[in-house]
Amino acid sequence: MAEVSLEIRNLHARIAEGDTILNGVDLSVPKGEVHALMGPNGSGKSTLAKIIAGDPSYEVTAGDILVDGQSVLELEPDERARTGLYLAFQYPVEVPGVSIANFLRLALNARRDEGDEIGVMEFYQKLQKAIAILGWDESIIERNLHEGFSGGEKKRSEILQLLVLEPKVAILDETDSGLDVDALKTVSQGVNAARGPEFSSLVITHYQRLLNYIVPDVVHVMVDGRVIRSGPKELAVDLDSKGYDWIREQVGV
Amino acid sequence: MADVIDNPKTITSDAVEAIVSQHDEPQWLADARRAALQHYLATPLPSNRDERWRYTELGRFSFDGLELLEEPASRQVSERIEMRITDSDAEGVLVLNGPEVIYRDHHIREEGVIFTDLRSAVHQHEELLRAHLYSAIDVRSGKYTALNAALWKNGTFVYVPKDIEVALPLGAFTTADVGGITNRRTLIVVEANAKVTFLDETTSDPFDERLFSNAATEIVLKEGAKLRYVSLQNWGRNVAHINRLRAHLGRDSRLESLTVSLGADAARAEVESRLEGPGAESEMLGLYFADKGQHYNQYTLQHHAADHAFSDLLFKGALRDGSTAVYSGVIVVDEGAQKTDAYQTNRNLLLDTESEAVSIPQLEIGANDVRCSHGSTTSPVPEDQRFYLMSRGLKPEVAEHVLVTGFLYEVMSRVTLPKVAEYVERLVQAKLGVPGVKEKL
Repeated sequence: MAEVSLEIRNLHARIAEGDTILNGVDLSVPKGEVHALMGPNGSGKSTLAKIIAGDPSYEVTAGDILVDGQSVLELEPDERARTGLYLAFQYPVEVPGVSIANFLRLALNARRDEGDEIGVMEFYQKLQKAIAILGWDESIIERNLHEGFSGGEKKRSEILQLLVLEPKVAILDETDSGLDVDALKTVSQGVNAARGPEFSSLVITHYQRLLNYIVPDVVHVMVDGRVIRSGPKELAVDLDSKGYDWIREQVGV
Repeated sequence: MADVIDNPKTITSDAVEAIVSQHDEPQWLADARRAALQHYLATPLPSNRDERWRYTELGRFSFDGLELLEEPASRQVSERIEMRITDSDAEGVLVLNGPEVIYRDHHIREEGVIFTDLRSAVHQHEELLRAHLYSAIDVRSGKYTALNAALWKNGTFVYVPKDIEVALPLGAFTTADVGGITNRRTLIVVEANAKVTFLDETTSDPFDERLFSNAATEIVLKEGAKLRYVSLQNWGRNVAHINRLRAHLGRDSRLESLTVSLGADAARAEVESRLEGPGAESEMLGLYFADKGQHYNQYTLQHHAADHAFSDLLFKGALRDGSTAVYSGVIVVDEGAQKTDAYQTNRNLLLDTESEAVSIPQLEIGANDVRCSHGSTTSPVPEDQRFYLMSRGLKPEVAEHVLVTGFLYEVMSRVTLPKVAEYVERLVQAKLGVPGVKEKL
């Protein structure tokens, strides 16, 4: 069996001192594979994404999260990122006063030792390559991080960052929401460019539409804070036509 | 119970008379000093009951154990100031150590511009001083103000004649190397349709004794005059600093002021604009970053005495390590000052729970056809922003740098002097501890 890149074991979690949201999630993404995670609103998909990245507003009450076989539960968000985890946010924040270029340089240097900062040429080559994949204008990197960005531009920026930071495991949290078909194609192009034997991804989405462009190896279905069904990519098409109630009935929840 | 007047024993009429006779000062100046001293002696120290001084940590501005500073220890220009002179591109430079001018450099090309120390100007430009000194700041308006008016020993005088535009900045760099009380005074007069930029920087390497730097800056802008004024306070931590800045703005004149507080143990900036002519504009920017228990205190006044004038104030500050900040500001619109446009905003970013900020914005509006707004916020670092940055691998301290830089950007982006903006940014980053960024290049 292939090496597992991301493994979620019986994960239970709640909002810090609040409601329970995850009720025992089990899920694993082998190295080199792209899995989709689908589910109705409020099923806990986005919560799972944020918990994997280490969002301090949630609390894990049981279970474990492993990256390359190592638990990351005790790690801070920045430490998780440096082990190769990446979360493309559903709602990326705006940070005025910091250009995308400077921000990405900081992020890349955070992964390197002091005194071994990335060279100017190497950095710009990486950036230019990523910008080209996304068909973006080069001036974008001088703009302040998400300041005045449209929803679509923010999503595109999340994928730009993914391409530059080259994570081992990327979680995409509803990167397709709010995108028109052209933007959807562009963003998918970016993700597909990142695909390879060393890259694993969990693509969270509401709609089957995205999966026409980012074709998953496996589809997981999450309902009420648990993964209730996993199957081949055709499962997404069935879900789209038959709805989540169909799957609820099938598994009897 | 009466307020205790803690008065250093050297602050007496003898001290005033000594200055007057030593420099053979003219009668009008001697009289003004004497009147100011009387007011000083009769006035108690400020109290927290006074609206202007509410929440001020007054003990940190005390005269305790201090006497008037007479002589600096050295006349060497420090490396830090040399760097600033080179970096500022100034075409006129004055370096003061306490009351002594220790360096001056002139290559002002524009005709008739006066840029000298205030002491020399008393005799060289007596008529101009007589007309303008003490004209913007009433010597009887407060304890520290009266002290400065009575006992200033030196400072800077800037005069720009009508229609002259000074291309490059003029800069006064003030430092100190011994403790005591120093009273520095600056007078800037810009005649009709003239234009100039003035940098007022204070900085010192740390030394053992306490220093109380009590400065006053008077600005007179005639019709259509334009001034960019930068106060960059970066004293060592053994210093208490007050700078009272007050500008009188004539018709269609424009003042862009920037007040930066980064150094000192405690610093108070008073920034007052009196808009006296229609069409006058005052943009007042402020930026502060306090750490390790520093106390920053600001009082601002936007006084609209004329109609159709505009003022816009933005003061932003970040605080950490048990620091405190107070902002108290008022917009006053006189009766008849119709069509006033006046805005005032103060925002504080708290980087930890030990730090505190108080913000008191006020409006006193006596006209009915005006546009005024004021607002203030004090909030911790937005957790979603912090999480986002850390999720990209940025260590917590680096994430904090980015957040503080981002928070202050709203002010920085409005600074129209790129060299100043760069330097302030570097100072902030050095203070934040950004790896590889040093205050001195």
